[in-house]
Amino acid sequence: MNISDMILLAIANLFRTKLRTTLTLLGVVIGIGALSSMVSLGTGMQKNLTDAFLENDLFTSYRVTTKNIDLEQISGGNFENMEGFLDKPQTPLTDSIIKIISNIEGVQYAFADIQFPVQLSLEGYDIKLNAQGLPATSGQYKPYTNLLAGTFFQTDNEKSVVVKWETFRKMGLVPLDKDNLVVFSREDSLKGFKVVDPDSLLGKELVIKSKTLNPLSLAISTMGGKVPDEKTAFREVETRLHICGILKKSGSFAGQQFRGGIYIPMETADDIPKLGFSSIWDLFDEEEVDSYGSVYVRAKDIQDMEIIRKDIEALGLHTFSIADQLEEIKKTFLIIDSLFGAIGSVALIIAALGIINTMLMSILERTREIGIMKAIGGSEREIKFIFFVEAGFIGFIGAIFGLGLGWLVTRLANIILNARFPEEGIPVDLFYFPWWLLAGATAFSIFISLAAGLYPAIRAARIDPVKALRHD
Amino acid sequence: MILRVHNLCKSYYRGKLEIPALKNVSLDISEGEFVSIIGKSGSGKSTLLNLIGGLDTASSGNIFFRDQDISAMSRKELARHRRFSVGMIFQSFNLIPSRTALENISLALTFGGVPRRQRKARAEDVIRSVGLGHRIDHKPTELSGGEAQRIAIARALANNPAMVLADEPTGNLDSVTSSEIIDLLQELNQKKGISILMITHDQETASRISNKVIRLVDGSIANEQGKTSMP
Ligand SMILES: Nc1ncnc2c1ncn2[C@@H]1O[C@H](COP(=O)(O)OP(=O)(O)OP(=O)(O)O)[C@@H](O)[C@H]1O
Ligand SMILES: [Mg+2]
Repeated sequence: MNISDMILLAIANLFRTKLRTTLTLLGVVIGIGALSSMVSLGTGMQKNLTDAFLENDLFTSYRVTTKNIDLEQISGGNFENMEGFLDKPQTPLTDSIIKIISNIEGVQYAFADIQFPVQLSLEGYDIKLNAQGLPATSGQYKPYTNLLAGTFFQTDNEKSVVVKWETFRKMGLVPLDKDNLVVFSREDSLKGFKVVDPDSLLGKELVIKSKTLNPLSLAISTMGGKVPDEKTAFREVETRLHICGILKKSGSFAGQQFRGGIYIPMETADDIPKLGFSSIWDLFDEEEVDSYGSVYVRAKDIQDMEIIRKDIEALGLHTFSIADQLEEIKKTFLIIDSLFGAIGSVALIIAALGIINTMLMSILERTREIGIMKAIGGSEREIKFIFFVEAGFIGFIGAIFGLGLGWLVTRLANIILNARFPEEGIPVDLFYFPWWLLAGATAFSIFISLAAGLYPAIRAARIDPVKALRHD
Repeated sequence: MILRVHNLCKSYYRGKLEIPALKNVSLDISEGEFVSIIGKSGSGKSTLLNLIGGLDTASSGNIFFRDQDISAMSRKELARHRRFSVGMIFQSFNLIPSRTALENISLALTFGGVPRRQRKARAEDVIRSVGLGHRIDHKPTELSGGEAQRIAIARALANNPAMVLADEPTGNLDSVTSSEIIDLLQELNQKKGISILMITHDQETASRISNKVIRLVDGSIANEQGKTSMP
């Protein structure tokens, strides 16, 4: 008897007891359904996060600061090292340092992180947000390549601006994106959202109002012992820029908020009077060289990250990259995935007990048949294999339907969760079914089922034909 | 010599209590012989047949089937012996109830390693050879006792064994059907030269058709009667 014969025989046996097979199968289906949807949730969370990192180019970029941002040390209340550290002369982040960093091997480009609060108005719509200065070169890289309409600015000193989709949305304008259709909630419609053709926004004039300190009035009022009042202490400046490009809606987990809602060419941004940290220092110490709070460095390749970091640190500066955090994040997700997997596995183990029970019952019922098979020449190996295949087949079919169930459940859960917690109206895929989950769950299901079938199969093979065939 | 049994002993144990079922049984069967075993209930007839058929293992002694010692065989070798060397027939037919006549025989052919596409034709042939060509797709419950036993005989013959072992094949049949089955076995013995070892309660028939009748009494052979010694 060859293997295909034994497999066919096993399947025929399962078909003979349809109801029982179906019920046993159902246990496995539910087990695999639970397991796969759980792991799919964990994987989905991880994927959403890493995708967001990738989309925002976080794996190939560093934020360079003068001080070490060591959250662990600060939260641990350990200031001993901090004091010594504060005594050390710090390298200021000046234009010349940025030039040095730019020339480090492997660095694509480096630019000062200029970010400042502004008030925008566009045809009567007003909104407050942060503006970010960017070099024109960054237009070649993610996430700035992902334009819905128009182009990124071409030079560092032109009077144009790139606006994020989300910024328009905050103003109540929804640029139409065919790849990313927005579902309006009822509140949205009540607020009076207006869908617009993104191309129609290009070229329009955006008025940027920024505030800056009025050094003269500040000095006067301070000398007079008076608290400077807002009207006189601050000066409001208007800058007019033309919209040259609109960035697409970014991923849901994207940490884009800290990078502002509009992007202005570097030099143009430099020229806008503003109330940034660096400008305050400028104000009180005119002699101090022009230095920035932090510098953004982009590597050509993820491989260069380590060398660049060493070179930057050799300058007496500090680097921060989400990539450094990646191992920790991965570890955390591994724990989450294992936990979810373990919960799902419990269901599968219960299903395995069901398989054992069903098979032992079936052996009891088929004792005579097994005796007959032995009498006409069936070997122990063959009988064992037939029962083994029966168990494995339940595992295999159970995995297929179980994955189908898991997929359905996650689709349904996704719809419900998205309806409950709409994230700016864009549906988020909370679950992820990668190929390894499909293959792994199938293999695991077959493995568990075979393990469950092992003992019944051995028992079937050991049946004494003389006893089995004794007259009824 | 197709079969040589030498000093065969078989005991069963109930706890520490030894129940001897066969005591120093020795017998010879030549190629093509028809041998009957008679004896009271519990005398060890089935035990002897099961040992020869490789369904059970002896406590001591030897069974030589064409000079191969069955008593020294591994379980795997015993399966081969059951598959190719002998065919067994039982009082209660022992057909698989969920399978048709054809499928019951196909199963034996499957164990015998017959390729899938040849099985159907071969099963039909062997069913026709026992005269049941019109019952091929019947399940055992849809067959009369005599028909069921014919199918069982067909199954025993499926892998062309040299010897058929029959444990009271007519025990569940009326006298007319019984003699038909006996006739069939006799035909196989005479036309195909298959050696037959049959257990029966019918001493008269045994004497009439057998070359040799072996009487078992309490697990021992009482006397061996050759056909020639019969009046
Ligand atoms: N598994 C067993 N455990 C204990 N004793 C057994 C077992 N099988 C058979 N025996 C005993 O062995 C003896 C021989 O049994 P066996 O079945 O060979 O008798 P038999 O001659 O075939 O009888 P029958 O004509 O009723 O079929 C009997 O006394 C029986 O009780
Ligand atoms: Mg008996």
